[in-house]
Amino acid sequence: MKRILIVEDEMLVAMLIEDAVTDMGHEVVGPAMRLETALETVATETFDFAILDINLAGNLSFPVADRLVELGIPFVFASGYGSAGLAERYHNAPVVQKPFAPQQLEAVLQRLL
Amino acid sequence: MPSMLDLDDPFRFLGNDGEVAGIIRNYDWASTPLGPVESWPPSLKTSTALLLQSPVPIVMLWGEAGVMIYNDAYSVFAGHRHPSLFGSNVREGWAEIADFNDNVMNVGLSGRTLAYRDQELTLHRKGYPEQVWMDLDYSPVPDEEGKPAGVIAIVVETTDRVLAERRNKEEFQRLQSLFEQAPTFMAMLSGKEHRFELVNPGYRELIGGRDVAGKTIIEALPELTGQGYYELLDEVFATGQTVRRFSERVYLQREVDAPPEERFVDYVYQPIRDETGIVTHIFVQGSDVTERVRAEQRQRLLINELNHRVKNTLASIQSIVSQTLRGVHSKEEASAAITARILAMSRAHNVLTEENWDSADLLTMVESSMDAFRIEGREAIRISGPNIRVGPHAAMSIALALHELGTNAARYGALSSPTGIVDLHWNLDENEQFELVWSEEGGPAVFESERKGFGSRLILQVLPRELRGTAELVRRSSGIVFKLSTSLEAISDRPVVEGV
Repeated sequence: MKRILIVEDEMLVAMLIEDAVTDMGHEVVGPAMRLETALETVATETFDFAILDINLAGNLSFPVADRLVELGIPFVFASGYGSAGLAERYHNAPVVQKPFAPQQLEAVLQRLL
Repeated sequence: MPSMLDLDDPFRFLGNDGEVAGIIRNYDWASTPLGPVESWPPSLKTSTALLLQSPVPIVMLWGEAGVMIYNDAYSVFAGHRHPSLFGSNVREGWAEIADFNDNVMNVGLSGRTLAYRDQELTLHRKGYPEQVWMDLDYSPVPDEEGKPAGVIAIVVETTDRVLAERRNKEEFQRLQSLFEQAPTFMAMLSGKEHRFELVNPGYRELIGGRDVAGKTIIEALPELTGQGYYELLDEVFATGQTVRRFSERVYLQREVDAPPEERFVDYVYQPIRDETGIVTHIFVQGSDVTERVRAEQRQRLLINELNHRVKNTLASIQSIVSQTLRGVHSKEEASAAITARILAMSRAHNVLTEENWDSADLLTMVESSMDAFRIEGREAIRISGPNIRVGPHAAMSIALALHELGTNAARYGALSSPTGIVDLHWNLDENEQFELVWSEEGGPAVFESERKGFGSRLILQVLPRELRGTAELVRRSSGIVFKLSTSLEAISDRPVVEGV
C-alpha cells in the first residue's frame, strides 16, 4: 500500500480519483483542490506518488510539480488539456488525459512506483 | 542661280545655300522696312550670315518692326508657319504672343538682354494652339555705330524635357501620396547606420508619433536594443538579401514615460541598390498585426479552455455515474439519480455560461439550483443573503452540494412533508468570512440513505476541502441543519488560466 497525493480542483473528479486509488488498495492523501493547499500538503505530508491536475481553479500546478521533482517523488499529470497544456520543462512528463479509466491510472502507477 | 564666286551677286555674303538662303535670295526685301539687300548695312549682312551657319534655331528681329530672319533650324521649330513667317514683323508673325515679343523688342533695342528658361508659350504652329516650353536668350545686335538695330534670339525648345520632368514629378507625387496614404507602415533607411530618410504616417503611428527624421535607428528607437532588429538591418545591408518576417514580436515605446509596449508586426526589409549595385538604403514596409495575433492567441486560449472544460465535464459525469452506481439499490433509482445530478450540473453550467464563466452571482446560482425542488402553492424554500460574486469553481461546487441537500430534503426531509420548510441563507462578516446555512424545519431529520453516501461525502468531505473551510451537519428533531464556513477568498477562484 502506498500513499498517493491527489491534487484536483473539481469535486466530482477528485472523488472519482479517490475511489480509483482506494480501489487499487492505496491510501489517499488529500485531495488538495487548490494550489496553496497542494503546496501546503507537499510540505507537511509524506507520500509516495502524486496525481496532479494542471489547472487548479485558475492557477497552474507546475510549482507543485517543481517541488515534487526536488523531493524525488514521482507523479503523473491528469488533465483535460492532455500534454498540450504542459509547461515546456514538463514536455516529456507522464500525462493521463481526463477522462480516464481506473485501469489507465493503475498502469501508470505500476510503471512509476 | 548665280554662283557663290560671282562678285556681282548681292547675296554672296550669305555663304550658305540652305533652304532659308534660297528664300532670302528670292524675297521681296524692298517691300520691307529693311529695303533691298544692296542697301543693307554690313552689320545686318554679317548677322544674317552668322545665324544661317548655326545648327541651333536662331531668329533675328531687325529694326523697330522686328523683321524676322531665321535659319533652317528655326524653320523646323516654326512648323507650318514657315515659310510665310519669314520676313514678317514679329508682332504679326507670332500674333498669339505679340505682347511677349513687344517686351522682347523694347528690351533688346534698349541694349539689354533677356533670358528665359522653360518659358511656357502657346503657339499656333500646326493650325491649333499648342503648349510649348522654351529656353530663350535674347541679345541686341549693334549696328555700325554700336547702337542696337535688332534683337537676336537663340531658341531651344524644351517641351519634351519639361513634359518628361512633369511626368516624373507627377509619378513622384503619386508615389508620395501612396506612401502617405498607405495603410501599412513604411520607412526609408539610408546608409549603414540606418538613418531615417522618410517615414509615412503608419510608421509614425507604430512608434508612438516620435519624430525620427534624420536620426539613426539606434538614436530614434533605442528600445530596440537587444531585440535583434539592428542586427537584422545590418545583415540586410551587408548581404543585400531581402528579409520577410511574420507575426514578429517587438517592444516599442509608444507613449512617453510608459514601458515599451508589446506589438506584433509582419514586415519586409528590402535593400535598395544604386546604379552600381551597391546597397544604399533599406526600405521597411509592414503591418501592425497585433490585434490579429492577439485574437489568434485568445482563440487558442478559448479552444484549450473549452477542451479542458469538456474533458473535465466528461470526467465529472463519469464520476457521477460511477459513484451513483456504487450506492443505489436498483437500475431505476440509479437512472433517476444520475439524470438529476447531470441536470443539476447542466443548470449550473447555464448560469455560468450567462456570466461568461467569469464568476456568478450567488443568489442566481442558488435559485437556479433550487428550482427543481420548489413546491407549487407554498413558499417551501426561503432564500436570503447579501449579493456576493463567487468564482466559477466554487459556484459549481455549491450548486452540486445544494442539489444533494435538495434531493435529500425532497425524499426524506422537510420537502417530503406538506408543511416542511427549507431556510437557506448566507452571510459575509466583517472579516470576509463566509457562512452558508441550510436549515430544515418541520420535516424528518434524515440525511442520506444511499449506502456509500455520495451526497454526504460530497457536502461534508469534498466541499469543505475544496473551499478550504469546514462543513457540519446537525440532525435536530425539527430537521437537519447544514453549515458551510469558509472565506470569501476561497470562494473567489479565478476564471481562466492565462497562457495555456
